[in-house]
This record gives sequence, structure tokens and C-alpha cells, in this order.
Amino acid sequence: MNYLLHTLVMVMIYVVLAQSMNLQLGYAGLYNLGHVAFFGIGAYTSALIAMAGWPEELGMAVAMLVAGGCGALVAFPVLRLTGDFFGIATLAFAEMAYIFFLNERWLTNGPMGLPGIPRPQWIGQELTALPLYLLMALLLTVAAHLGLRRLVKSPFGRALKVVREDEQVARALGKNVLALKIKAVAVGTGLAGLAGALWAHYVTYISPADFTLQTTILILLCVVLGGKGSLHGPILGAIIVIFFQEGLRFLPIPADLNRFVAPIQGMVFGLALIVLMRKRPSGIWPEHRRKKN
Amino acid sequence: MYHLQFILNGLIAGSVYALFAVGLTMTYGIFRFINFAHGELIAWGAYGLLWFSGPLLGLPLIWAALPAIALTICIALAADKLVYAPLRHQDRITLLIASIGLSFFLRSLLQLVFGAELMTYGREAGRGWEIAGLYVTGVQAGMGITAVAFLAGLYLLLTRTLLGKALRAVSDNMELAGIMGLPMHRVNRTVWLLSALFAAVGGMLLGLDTSLDPFMGLANLVKAFAAVLLGGAGNVWGALLGGLFIGITENLSVAFIDPGYKDFVAFAVIIAMLLFRPQGIFALTRGEVR
Repeated sequence: MNYLLHTLVMVMIYVVLAQSMNLQLGYAGLYNLGHVAFFGIGAYTSALIAMAGWPEELGMAVAMLVAGGCGALVAFPVLRLTGDFFGIATLAFAEMAYIFFLNERWLTNGPMGLPGIPRPQWIGQELTALPLYLLMALLLTVAAHLGLRRLVKSPFGRALKVVREDEQVARALGKNVLALKIKAVAVGTGLAGLAGALWAHYVTYISPADFTLQTTILILLCVVLGGKGSLHGPILGAIIVIFFQEGLRFLPIPADLNRFVAPIQGMVFGLALIVLMRKRPSGIWPEHRRKKN
Repeated sequence: MYHLQFILNGLIAGSVYALFAVGLTMTYGIFRFINFAHGELIAWGAYGLLWFSGPLLGLPLIWAALPAIALTICIALAADKLVYAPLRHQDRITLLIASIGLSFFLRSLLQLVFGAELMTYGREAGRGWEIAGLYVTGVQAGMGITAVAFLAGLYLLLTRTLLGKALRAVSDNMELAGIMGLPMHRVNRTVWLLSALFAAVGGMLLGLDTSLDPFMGLANLVKAFAAVLLGGAGNVWGALLGGLFIGITENLSVAFIDPGYKDFVAFAVIIAMLLFRPQGIFALTRGEVR
């Protein structure tokens, strides 16, 4: 039962992450390969605020703002670049954030990480509080989803898709392409920060090793498996990927074979990305009127 | 003198980064996408050497290098045939995501076979020489010489042979080169072969100097990116100079900042380059940037 609850909390966190990446990748056509950095910034911000004795809810709100602010700050200069170069710049940013978490011991406690991150008061610290935490995660995820839904169905969302398809057309229509992209990245990274805060207060221990490219690739898989640019696709993708990942813990695997589990999982994820790109690049729940190119 | 030693170390490290970067920039120049799996070719080259020199064949290191290089080239050619060639006419996001998937797959396979721990070739640390106050180890000297030999070979290939001419033509304008009747399949194969060869050799040299771990490919891929950007994407000689530059700045930075931030330098170079000079510092002409 507890395993199921745990898996569901993880699903919620990855739904938020996948949706936040989808806003950038699927709607605006920007591949942020440093998504995990904003997840990490959110996690550390919220954890540090809560550990300093402030309310956890405040920490989560500030985490969103800080992550979104960092996102906008990174986006502003590098968005002049298109395509692959935006990906490399964000990848480099994520590696820099990782090195920062690792080296600034006074702030992040370095490689030892931050233990004992409190959960919100009304939930309590015991293991029995899991259902309540799931409820909070669910509410926040639904709120994030509804917010995003409103956003992408608004004129803003339609303009973003025009930017994705052809920037020249967007410009000709009088849209400020740079402003549109920065807003997309700021909202997306802000939501990643929220996911980070949710995660930090859930696992109660974070360390720099949690925020590597592996996580970005996992989020990417959720998005492209579900269908990039589709509103519900990434939710489905996150559910499948996380149930597959966490479900492996139930299999009766002998202890001496345990070390093979993670690499095989990685191979399956990598292979899934390749097969998806070859056979079904639009995912299992594709965006409706996706033109064939 | 103190700083000169760092510069020398940087030159040697940089010549290895240059080996990675020329391969990456060649595939970019021809196929117009960033091959994320290039880092895994580096790691597979290094682990191949470990495998063939250790439990599998027990060959001496120098002979084990040959099958290790052959293995890496086979991986690159198979990747082209199974992943990249069928996707060549898709959009760039599709190709990029596929190469990320491939890199994740190859890295996990490496972890499955060899485990995640640090490994070495089990050589004893050789004694070095002191020349004019500068200290060089045997491995370092070997690294420098090998890198220079391979890069000189590449220079001769590109400038003195018909195949090299074809390579440069395709990198300039693929469609036009195709219309002129250049054998595109052969050119494509050669590019993968060269980039895998250089990645494998660089990976082995790096493994000899430090140690091997499954993530070594990823870490060095980012440095190769930085070198490629410095040189201007697609520019082979630029990538070479870029690699040297990254090596030197990185090693010299240790004299001024916390060594924990050594890797920060390459990333900072990437961001600065992308912001201020996306066409590259060493680009002779204003290249097309997309």
C-alpha cells in the first residue's frame, strides 16, 4: 500500500515536470536540456527556507519564483540562439548548477546533501502521513495542469505554436517572439521549481547527485512518449514511465543481481527514445492536428 | 614557472579534447545535427581497451588498442545505419532526441557490463622527466605525441587526398556535392569512421592518464561542445584550436580559483561563446549559424 502511495506521489511530481517541459518543448519548440537544474533550484530553495524555520508553504512559493526567475534570466540572453544551441546552453547551465550545489558547502552542504527537510506542519513527519502528502501533491498537480491548460488554450498558447512552426510568420503577425519564448521558459521552469519543492519535502533528503542529466532524460522520455505538444500526453507518459521505474522494485530480484537493474532500466529508456523517434515521433497521445513533415 | 606548468598540462589535456572535438564538429558539418552519442564513443573506446587488454584477450595495451578502435567504429557505423540514416530527413528535434536516447542506451550498456565504479588500466604510475623545470610524465608525453600524430594525419587526409577534398566539399554544401556526383555513402561512412577513431583514441589516452567511469563520455562531450563552439560549428581547425584553448584555460584556472570549479570553466566558455560570438572565435568567415 505504501509502495503504491509512494509511486503515486512520484507520478504527481513527474507529471508536473513533464508538463513544464512540454510547455517549452511541445508548445514553444525549445528544448531545455537543463530542465533538471530548475528542479534542483526549486528543491534547494524550498528546503533551505523550511530548514531556516519558515513555513514550508512559503518555501514552495518562493521555490517557484526563484526557479522561474532563474529560468527567465537564463532564457533572456540565450534565446537569441535557436535549435541545438539553446539545448547546449541550457545543458551547460545545468552542469554549472550541479557544480555549484556540489561546491557551495556553506549553502548546500556540498556532496553530503541536506538531510531532515521538514514536511508541512499539517501533514506531519511520520510515514503514516503519506496519504495526506499525496493529497497535497494531487491538488498542486491539478492546479498546475488547469493553469497550463488555460494558458495554452489562450491566445498566448496559440501564438507559441506559431513561434514553434515558423518564427518569421509569428513576427509577420506582429508577435514579440522573444517575449513569448521568455514567458514560456519562465512558466515552465517555475513549475519545475514547484516540482522540486514537492520532491524535496517528500523525500526529506536531497543531494547534488539527484540533479543530473539522467533526470532530464527521464522527463524528456515522459514528454515524447506521451506526445509533445499535446495537453494530456505528458501526463500519460509520466504515469507509464514512473510506474515502470518504480514497479521494478516489486519484482523478486535476487540481491546479487540488483546492480544490473538500473543499467537495464537505462537501456530500456534509451531504446524507448530511439524507437519512439523512428516509429512514432508524435507519441502515443499525439497533438491533434499535427501536420506531417 | 608555476603557471608554465599549468599551461603545459593544459596543452596536453587540450590536445586530447581536440581529438574529441574534431570528430564532433565533422559530424556536425556533414549531417547538421549535434551527435549526443559522441561522448559514448569516447567511453567505449576507453573501456574497449580495458576489455581487450584485460579479461577478454589479455593483449598488451598497445595491441589491444586496435580491436578497441575497431569496436568503436562498428558502434558508430551501426548507430548511423540503425538510428541516424533512417531519420536523416526528419526535423532536427527528432534526430537530437534519438541521439540522446542512443547515448543513454550505450552508457547504460557500459554500466551493465563494467559496473559503475572507477577503473584503471592497472598500470603503475611511471616516473616522469624534468625538462627546464617543467615536469612531464611518460603518459603525458605519449598523449601529446599521439594526439599530434593523429591530428597531422587528419590534416594530410583532408588536404592531400581526393577523399579529403570530397569531405570538405560535402561539408560545404551537401546537395551540391551530391549533384556533382560525389559518392555520398562513402563520404558518410568515412565521417563516422574518422569521428569514432578520434573519439576512441582520445578516450584511451584519457583513460591512461586518469581513470575510467561510465560517465566519462558525458563529461568530455560537454568540453568537446565548448571546443566546437569556440572554433565555429563544422570548422575542423577551429575545433582543434578550441580544444587546446579549453585545456589551457581549464588547467590555468586552477591557479586562480577553487579546483572544485575546474569544470565550470568549459561551461562558462560555452555560455559566453553562445552569447557573444555564436559563429566562433576562430571562424575565418562568418559561418551560417542555425
